[in-house]
Amino acid sequence: MKRFFIVILYALLFGLSLQAFHFKLDHPIAEDISRLMPVKMKAIQAEDNEEAIKRIILEANENDDPISIGGMQHSQGGQTLYPNGILLDMKRYDKVLDLDVKGKRITVQSGATWADLQEYINPYGLALKVSQSQNIFTIGGSLSVNVHGRDIRHHALIETVESFRLLNAKGQVLTVSRKENSELFSSVIGGYGLFGVILDVTLQLTDDELYKIKTKSLHYDEYTSYFKKEVLQNDDVKMHLARISVAPGSYLDEMYVTDYYRANDQAQLSNYDTLKRETIIAVPKFFLGLSRYNDWGKERFWETQETYTANINGNLISRNNAMRSDSAFMDYSNPSKTDVLQEYFVPIDQFADYIDDLRKTLSDEKDFNLLNITIRYVEQNDESMMSYAKEDMFALVMLINQGTDNESKENSGRVIRNMIDVTLNHNGSYYLPYYGYPTKRQLYEAYPRTEDFFQLKKKYDPDNRFMNLFFEEYHP
Amino acid sequence: MNYKRFIVYQGTVGMAASMIFPFYILLIKNVGTSYSQFGWAYGIFSLTAALSYPLIGKLTDRAGDKVFLLIYSWGMALILLAFPLAYETWHVYLLQIVMGILGAMQKNTEKTVLARYVMKTTAGKEIGNYHVWTSIGAAAAVIATGYLVDFLTIGSIFYLASFMFAWSGFIMMKMGKTTTLSLEE
Repeated sequence: MKRFFIVILYALLFGLSLQAFHFKLDHPIAEDISRLMPVKMKAIQAEDNEEAIKRIILEANENDDPISIGGMQHSQGGQTLYPNGILLDMKRYDKVLDLDVKGKRITVQSGATWADLQEYINPYGLALKVSQSQNIFTIGGSLSVNVHGRDIRHHALIETVESFRLLNAKGQVLTVSRKENSELFSSVIGGYGLFGVILDVTLQLTDDELYKIKTKSLHYDEYTSYFKKEVLQNDDVKMHLARISVAPGSYLDEMYVTDYYRANDQAQLSNYDTLKRETIIAVPKFFLGLSRYNDWGKERFWETQETYTANINGNLISRNNAMRSDSAFMDYSNPSKTDVLQEYFVPIDQFADYIDDLRKTLSDEKDFNLLNITIRYVEQNDESMMSYAKEDMFALVMLINQGTDNESKENSGRVIRNMIDVTLNHNGSYYLPYYGYPTKRQLYEAYPRTEDFFQLKKKYDPDNRFMNLFFEEYHP
Repeated sequence: MNYKRFIVYQGTVGMAASMIFPFYILLIKNVGTSYSQFGWAYGIFSLTAALSYPLIGKLTDRAGDKVFLLIYSWGMALILLAFPLAYETWHVYLLQIVMGILGAMQKNTEKTVLARYVMKTTAGKEIGNYHVWTSIGAAAAVIATGYLVDFLTIGSIFYLASFMFAWSGFIMMKMGKTTTLSLEE
């Protein structure tokens, strides 16, 4: 008797646990890479075909569920999240549909990553025109934030897009290009997933080339003239990247630049065109870890970066390899802290003054743990409604270590809003995929067409089927 | 209860235990934390075990081995029902404390049963034989589970292991009412 009683009791508990587990699975908690805002979603759905994705949209229409769209979820401002919404995870929708080798054109589903594309096109001697420095991101996500990279001859990603197909809130598929549905072309790219699901994209490619790396140290006040003369006016320079020190001894003063020149002997490309894999990341991970810790660590980190840069001077590298920088060393899993990003755009002629003002603003902020600043160039482009490149700009990407508690968020928020004010004072702008620290006023000032952008959102998605926390925070 | 059945029992719980342990890290990863917390989770497990050994040792001599095997089986069956529901780090720590105590019971009782059964002169051979079968069971379970995770979720592996523990507990209950294991056929 006792035995059966126990068996029945166990069966009961088994059933209860299973039910609770199902409930938990039905209400997944999703978060982006910054881990600053875990959000309870109604469901996370991933599909690998158009029909199934369409069904998700139609079902959401029936149930009045909001949809947020996510790729790698590296946007840190809730662009891929909405409470009780459906997270449409696009990562499985990742096939290459067509490659036109002669026309240098590729059509690919939006969940594919740049890494997928590089592996596909590298054997044909082709390369991407624009992508981030790291290649871990999806095409759809990159389009939605209109990325730029270190290429100085091609600029924002929007330039390289010929057309794409968009699944709208009604479940219809539209072809979008500069000629067809052009209003959507300029609002979906850089549109943060608010207009529909980008299905597949046709991108222009270019030839893979061999580059020779040249590096140089200089001071911040020499940078603009160096860049104009030695980089922009020299047609052989194809890519450019700079760093400015955040170590106390050389704070916002010392810089070094890395320029990629087209190599004289392109016949050698075949010796360098094997796609590199991420190698041992222990060393950079260790020094980045030290720099999170204290000023002494920051000095060591800057020293190793300088040594490394000096060492690669003269190296040869293929374009494809230059566009797949390591990223694993930046993975950070401290439970109470996280690394967040900021990116500020400032007109190139304002750079030195801007850095002076930035130094002043940050001088008293002892708790603000700034780890790294990289600098790239992006030429004026206002094709996207939410274009950050209102003039020819330097783009400063900052890596910041902060706590995940509210006090840390408040502190970071205050410092970041101050930095954005400095940026805006220099006719600059800031990048939108990051945490919602900026105020509404700052958004409207940095992006003069914000109001039109939200008007278009209303026009194309009146029921707000596509929702995310970025929209929630900033819409009028 | 006889010795052969004890080996079958140990084989079963060994299989169930090795199903979950190597894949446990995957769950902690799902809970979303760091390597240091993983270290803590295992540290807490070993520490509670260490602290509970003296008491368990004393009690087995008084209450008999079977009771502890029973508590272990049913205890594991129940605790594994809670595992898939854990989503905070402290949940995992708490579960590790309970698992530490249960694990200590199993480890200690396994040895006391063997100690009471084996002849001193042939202890090496007998314990060797015992380990052959229990290790084969464990190996089969780990390999099979490796494939299972490809098809099932981590959650379902915990449920499967729980079910195996419950079954082992049921077998143990069926083995008669004696409080100490009678080792002769």
